[in-house]
Amino acid sequence: MKRYLRNHDAISEAEQEVLAAKRVLVVGCGGLGGMVIECLARIGVGHLRVVDGDVFEESNLNRQLLSSSMNLGRPKPLAAQQRAMAVNPLVEVEAFQILFASENAAELLADCDVAVDCLDNIPSRLVLQEAAKEAGLPLVHAAVAGWRGRICVIHPGEDLLGLLYPNLEETQGEEQQMGTLSFTVALTASWQAAETVKLLLGKPGLQGEILDLDLLNGSANRLRLN
Amino acid sequence: MIKVNTEESPWRPGMTVRALLDEKLFTFRHIIVRINGEFVSEEDFEKQTIQDGDDVLVLHLMAGG
Repeated sequence: MKRYLRNHDAISEAEQEVLAAKRVLVVGCGGLGGMVIECLARIGVGHLRVVDGDVFEESNLNRQLLSSSMNLGRPKPLAAQQRAMAVNPLVEVEAFQILFASENAAELLADCDVAVDCLDNIPSRLVLQEAAKEAGLPLVHAAVAGWRGRICVIHPGEDLLGLLYPNLEETQGEEQQMGTLSFTVALTASWQAAETVKLLLGKPGLQGEILDLDLLNGSANRLRLN
Repeated sequence: MIKVNTEESPWRPGMTVRALLDEKLFTFRHIIVRINGEFVSEEDFEKQTIQDGDDVLVLHLMAGG
């Protein structure tokens, strides 16, 4: 198929078919989520379930791929669905305009192969880790602040977010002071999408470690967490 | 010598977590420190000393998406 011609041979024909049969839950359709959804739709992941309770606002425009001056006020998951289906009509996209919470987590994770954490606050991220653990699913986590990004892959039973967020009273991190920059989001989300695809294809990826990106100082370090 | 994230770093007797953070210019407000895998609470940064050979992990708290 010409659509996937330039995926090959980095992705083999057989792997392309594997991707077409997979279902990925992307929680959060903002900065990270918008780019993750774009990458997964273009590479040919067959089924995407996208979740977000927010609408686009002006302050999203500096970094969120799916936002534009034309769609302010539009629900993010609906914009994600429209974009992904326009990019690749072969992808089935289910959009849920709801806030991710423990009450709806199991239903959203059902029948998925991988969950992707593109949320923007610590409590919801911890809820997602717990729900993914309950569902026995791997979770690809990423977070950004200013010039820095971070990615890790959490396999069922691991509690890497408990190591990254040891103080349960915190709800936000450095992004409150440092903001979130477009290229930090794009790079971090792209790497998050790559880890997701590696999981779907059974290729080795991050395990028990975080990838720490610093775009200001130009470094990418793998740091062991456990 | 101690290890700070991926880099070897000089150690001196009595070195506290706070001294290390100041030396390394970790100036963000939200910092997470683990020494040999053990979490060090921020309120202990001034008194917690680092031993020669310790593996120190210093992370910024970030949650933006």
